[in-house]
Amino acid sequence: MNIETSEFHWGMVIDLDRCTGCGACVTACQAENNIPISEQDGIANGRNLHWIRIERYWEGEFPHVRARFLPMLCQHCDDAPCEPVCPVYASYHNPEGLNGQVYNRCVGTRYCANNCPYAVRVFNFFNPKWPKPLEQQLSPDVTVRSRGVMEKCSFCIQRIRRGKEQASLENRKLLDGEVMPACAQTCPPQAIIFGDLNDPDSRVSKLARSPRRFRLFEDLGTEPSVIYLKGGGHDHPG
Amino acid sequence: MEILGVFKTLDSAAAAIDKLIAAGVTEERITSLSSVPYPAGVLIKKKRLPRFYLWTLVFGGGGAVLGFSLAAGTAWLYPLQTGDKPIISIFPVGLITYELMMLFAIIGTLVGMFWAMRLPKFNRQAYADEIGDGAIGVLVTAEDGPKAEEVRESLRDSGAGRICNGEEGA
Amino acid sequence: MTTRANRYDAVRMNREMLSSMSPPTWRWYLLAAVLGAVVAFGLYAFTVQVTTGMGVTGINRPVMWGIYIISFVFWVGLSHSGTMVSAILRLSKASWRRPILRGAEAMTVFSISVAGLFPLIHLGRNWIFYYLLPYPNQRGLWPNFRSPLLFDMVAINTYIIGSTIFLYIGLLPDLAVVRDCSSGWKKKIYAILAMGWRGSAEQWQVFSRGSTLLACLIIPVAVSVHSIVAWDFAVTLVPGWHSTIFAPYFVIGAITSGVAAVITLMIVIRKLFKLEEFLQPVHFDNMAKLLLAVCLLWSYFYFSEVFTTWYAHKPIEWEIFSFMSSRYGIMLLIMMLGNTIVPIIGLCFRQVRRSLPALLVITLLVNLAMFIERFLIVVPSLSHKNIPFIWGSYTPSWVELAIMVASFALFFLLYTLFAKFFPILAITDVREQEEVLLGSQQNGRTRLETLVKEE
Repeated sequence: MNIETSEFHWGMVIDLDRCTGCGACVTACQAENNIPISEQDGIANGRNLHWIRIERYWEGEFPHVRARFLPMLCQHCDDAPCEPVCPVYASYHNPEGLNGQVYNRCVGTRYCANNCPYAVRVFNFFNPKWPKPLEQQLSPDVTVRSRGVMEKCSFCIQRIRRGKEQASLENRKLLDGEVMPACAQTCPPQAIIFGDLNDPDSRVSKLARSPRRFRLFEDLGTEPSVIYLKGGGHDHPG
Repeated sequence: MEILGVFKTLDSAAAAIDKLIAAGVTEERITSLSSVPYPAGVLIKKKRLPRFYLWTLVFGGGGAVLGFSLAAGTAWLYPLQTGDKPIISIFPVGLITYELMMLFAIIGTLVGMFWAMRLPKFNRQAYADEIGDGAIGVLVTAEDGPKAEEVRESLRDSGAGRICNGEEGA
Repeated sequence: MTTRANRYDAVRMNREMLSSMSPPTWRWYLLAAVLGAVVAFGLYAFTVQVTTGMGVTGINRPVMWGIYIISFVFWVGLSHSGTMVSAILRLSKASWRRPILRGAEAMTVFSISVAGLFPLIHLGRNWIFYYLLPYPNQRGLWPNFRSPLLFDMVAINTYIIGSTIFLYIGLLPDLAVVRDCSSGWKKKIYAILAMGWRGSAEQWQVFSRGSTLLACLIIPVAVSVHSIVAWDFAVTLVPGWHSTIFAPYFVIGAITSGVAAVITLMIVIRKLFKLEEFLQPVHFDNMAKLLLAVCLLWSYFYFSEVFTTWYAHKPIEWEIFSFMSSRYGIMLLIMMLGNTIVPIIGLCFRQVRRSLPALLVITLLVNLAMFIERFLIVVPSLSHKNIPFIWGSYTPSWVELAIMVASFALFFLLYTLFAKFFPILAITDVREQEEVLLGSQQNGRTRLETLVKEE
């Protein structure tokens, strides 16, 4: 038995105190990862395919009301509930701490989506379609998924691959901040930071040690690799 | 060779068997053919059965080994981490082992039963269609020659409606 | 008793019990054609789904499992009928099982086969279903035996093969009778199926001991099959599913629907084949008592589950129940009526237990309620999972409903065909009871006491 290991453990920090809920990450992700455009009724029927979404919650009663934004994407759990339930290993754990999804293996049992407490897995109910001329801008680095398969955020694995290839060509180690998923790259207030959690000096590791840190549904024991930062309610009256 | 006498009623068949035994044919060489099972002793004493349940045990054991190697062996051949589960996890391996053990034990029982009943047998054997409709067959194994003739005589005396040899009938 | 034994006539009984296999009338063809048409429409709906995509169903995020999985659980539950009647009643030596055991065993085989279709229909890419099978392939990849779906596949296969063997072994002496009573090409076919059985004393002895052994083997398989189906749900992190009570609760649910279906079957077979002589009110009384017991058990499990959730009041778990009662309130009411209130109150009365119309209504209601119960297990838990932002609900589409209805039609069609080509009554078992066990006068070489008392 030969289990692969890796020096990396990719992780992400999302600073909710910086997030403005602008939705730029959603658009960037859509463009980067060849995500089909959902029409209005697709979204109404729960068939949209966004890999990242901005969850908007309202706090308080009018007029003391405030919107809260929570960017939600695959949490790349270390003990991911979606992985062991897949009968064909389409969902498996990558040695770099990523929660891999192999489209070619997927037969579409949708068990993984049921078992994901974050509900971030999306299913291709139909073959993907892009209105003209959007089909011209598909990224050649990313597979276009057919109907019947499950998909989700990959932490832009194609960019991680490219970054590692570039570093090994130049015979050096991958620098911190060299690899950035589309959402982190595009975030105007820089609320999303991506990096190697195994490197204690990386920016993401430093931020992950912040006292403002929390992870979603930590009681479920899924050990997510996405860490949220949120301050102690200074803007709450009372 | 096998000699079959067909009797209309249970009592005449029983009387024929008694007569054969009195004439010196051992009970091991006699069996009854019927379309319903009669309790042991009504026609023929309980026969010693081959131990067909050994097939169940052997097949069940084989199924357990197969189940274990499928669940544990294939995971070991292609180790892929899923969640925090060990590559060879105890509960899944146990469940698959159990299911395949039961499956093969059932198949083994089927094979064992057919083996003990000496089935399937598609070539012609001593049989008469009336048996399906409630007639009783008395089947005697005897060597060719005078011995067989004696048995045939005895069955005819007991009132067998029809007597046929192993190769006749369907 | 003696009068009945004297009336016994093997030829008459054979003809009577084989009458179901006589050449079909136009009514039979009509029934088969109607059922076939419904199945064909279901196939059309399935074609639409395969060519267009899963989007033609009502499933969505978060309700990724729908009618297909619900039907799967329902049919697996129904398949516990044969095991119940045939294996358990065989081991407990209840001799009135004899006229219905074949019907119940066939019901097991066909309902588990129909159940086995649903996980395949449900796949997003059905055309590569063989990725689930463990066979050496070019991809060098084996299926993941840590997935509950693989437990499922193995268990369902075991049950399909096991119950078919159970049915076939029981059928063997009857096939020989059919062979003896038929002629021409039919005789040739049944001769092959009967494998040369001639009912010698040794064969009967092996048959009886082997059947008991098979009954002992098939009961633990039946229990494990429905437990594994329950674990598909119970091993997840989904609130409302993740519960230790699920496996025994599902097994009891399966036995409830199985027993109810057997009673329905007894009523239908009694009417169709004029078995008033064999299936007497006392038999219905016994089965109804069994149904009452399992309904009580089911209600006890359900109460335990809801009560503990209500008291602890963990918000996300209680949310499932409050959502269920608001969105699917009417279904919840029918379920409580059909599984608890009506059968438990009704079956307490002897008059009800012995009245066939009342039993027919109650047993059909129980199975309707069991279908709804599966719906209420699958859908509300998925609708309101942990993330309130992605809450939803589910309404099945016409494609799913067509395939569900077609599954019922397919079951009845298979059953009708089986009843036409195979003896639906266990001929030798019934004749054995009539001739050997009830008739103490006919006893060949030994005097035997009556072995079985007429209940």
